[in-house]
Amino acid sequence: MTDSEARTAREEWGSRFGFLMAMVGAMVGAGNIWRMPFTTGQNGGGAFLVAYILLLYVIAVPGLMAETMVGRYTNTGVIGSFRQVLQSKRGQGLGLVVLIVNVALMSYYAPIIAWALYYTVHSVLLTFTQPGFQPQAFWEGFISNPALVIGMHTLTMAGLAGVLVFGIRRGIERVVKWMIPLLVIALIAVGIRGVTLPGGMEGLAFVFTPEWGSLTRGSTWVAALSQALFSTGLGWGIALTYGSYLGRYDDVPLGGGLFTAVGNTSIGLLAVFATFPVVFAFGLEPSAGSNLLFISMAEVFPELPGGAAWAIVFFASFFFATFTSGLGITEVGVTTVSEETDLSRTGSVLAVCGVIWLLGLPSAYSSSFLDQMDFMFGTFGLPLATLSIIVLVAWKIGPECARVIDLNRNTGIYVGRWWNPVVKYVIPAVMIFILGYGVVSSIGTENQTLMILGIAFMVVLTVVSTAVMSIIGEASTGSVELASDGGD
Amino acid sequence: MALSTVAWVTMLLAILALPGVASVVLVRSLRTEGRKLTLLREQGNLDSYSPQALRELREWIQTNPNNPYVADARQRYNECVRTLREIDDPYYDWSDEQIEELEVIEE
Repeated sequence: MTDSEARTAREEWGSRFGFLMAMVGAMVGAGNIWRMPFTTGQNGGGAFLVAYILLLYVIAVPGLMAETMVGRYTNTGVIGSFRQVLQSKRGQGLGLVVLIVNVALMSYYAPIIAWALYYTVHSVLLTFTQPGFQPQAFWEGFISNPALVIGMHTLTMAGLAGVLVFGIRRGIERVVKWMIPLLVIALIAVGIRGVTLPGGMEGLAFVFTPEWGSLTRGSTWVAALSQALFSTGLGWGIALTYGSYLGRYDDVPLGGGLFTAVGNTSIGLLAVFATFPVVFAFGLEPSAGSNLLFISMAEVFPELPGGAAWAIVFFASFFFATFTSGLGITEVGVTTVSEETDLSRTGSVLAVCGVIWLLGLPSAYSSSFLDQMDFMFGTFGLPLATLSIIVLVAWKIGPECARVIDLNRNTGIYVGRWWNPVVKYVIPAVMIFILGYGVVSSIGTENQTLMILGIAFMVVLTVVSTAVMSIIGEASTGSVELASDGGD
Repeated sequence: MALSTVAWVTMLLAILALPGVASVVLVRSLRTEGRKLTLLREQGNLDSYSPQALRELREWIQTNPNNPYVADARQRYNECVRTLREIDDPYYDWSDEQIEELEVIEE
């Protein structure tokens, strides 16, 4: 099959709505539901929101535009994109780094989806409103039962594989088109219920009362930066992969950039309305993180009128948020493996899901292992992957070249020259700063050894990936061919 | 507990800047896509660049003749110019005078 035939045969999104829901669904995850409300309240409330929204528009939106554009531009997954742009076998190693970081992230994210699935099933079984229900004992009974957690992890990966095997249009798109609207409706419903509870408004006061002094603290800006960059899914390879399935006449900046970043954060804001009024109405500990969801919230439902129904709505929405992220993260590997090997789509899905399942077993078995993986890959792996993708656009293609040739092609909004310095200087500088901050803030803490391990692992990963790809990588065609004129 | 005025203002601004903007962008994105599909059904083709974007593309081609992506840029530029001459109803806001002034770039 010739290259042009292969491109024509490449699948595309069936509808604009499907693409937008897939992008938002992939980026909205556990972090939006349990991290954003607390981070907002902890870092100055309304003042943090001001910093966060500013950084979202200035950094995350342009960054997502760049990542989505490179996917649409090259019409390939992560390794193929690096091959086409860098025109070298060794350069494909950076694509492999993005892929491995992505698979590693998914290996410990899958057990979190499994927790959400388990709680959703039990909400449907009305477990949380049974007389004598003990949330703490229920959670500990679940998490300390290896057969159960590994079983749920297996079921989760089977579910993801079951969707992904049908491809982009008949698989992912078909699922996200109803899961994301339902997630939004569910969060709005829980939010309305929460603020109408006695004491519910205190939660909103905690989140939205601005403490302007916090804007002078570096930690507020670091928290806002981390939330703006990582909760929007920048640099995970998802925007690149989903963007590669866009058609010739599709827009990138409006959907892939602005809607994805702002839509994702909007759901985070809805999560604030859905959780904090309930937390304050029932006197729960707002900083409880995952425990807030699985222990504290489960404790609340028996006391709410119609609590059984609210439990279903709440946990199902959390499951939808995590499951659609799982689809996006896993698709990065599936697309790349199906392009870089002789495996069919089905074979690629089974291979990638199988590897993630296997690598996820330790995280499913041990929550502390999951936390360590999260620290290593969240703190060092993600900035490295993001840096690789942004450098590809900003320093290899060049921002002005990328902007005039592809970003403003068929666009719904014109992107001006302001975009160039943001992707070329600001985002890489921010990534290096976050990496450095992760190192400095770990020195002298219990995470110091893990930090050294994390840095060493990322260095080894980069060296080995480039070495491996220089041996097994596919040679580039020798010409720059970036147009994605495959279909409509 | 009632919210203070500043908390109300912050909350409303956050709603406006996030779900407000997201809703507007979603509607706009779906509408523009609908218009593109209609034009494609009627004309079979669509202009890919706005007047400003095409002017910038031409300037970039002229100032970067040795860039490895210039061949691709020229191809896209010329394709847009030819399309604009063929179709009756451009997607972007092109006037007849603007279209008449356009020239293809030698490849």
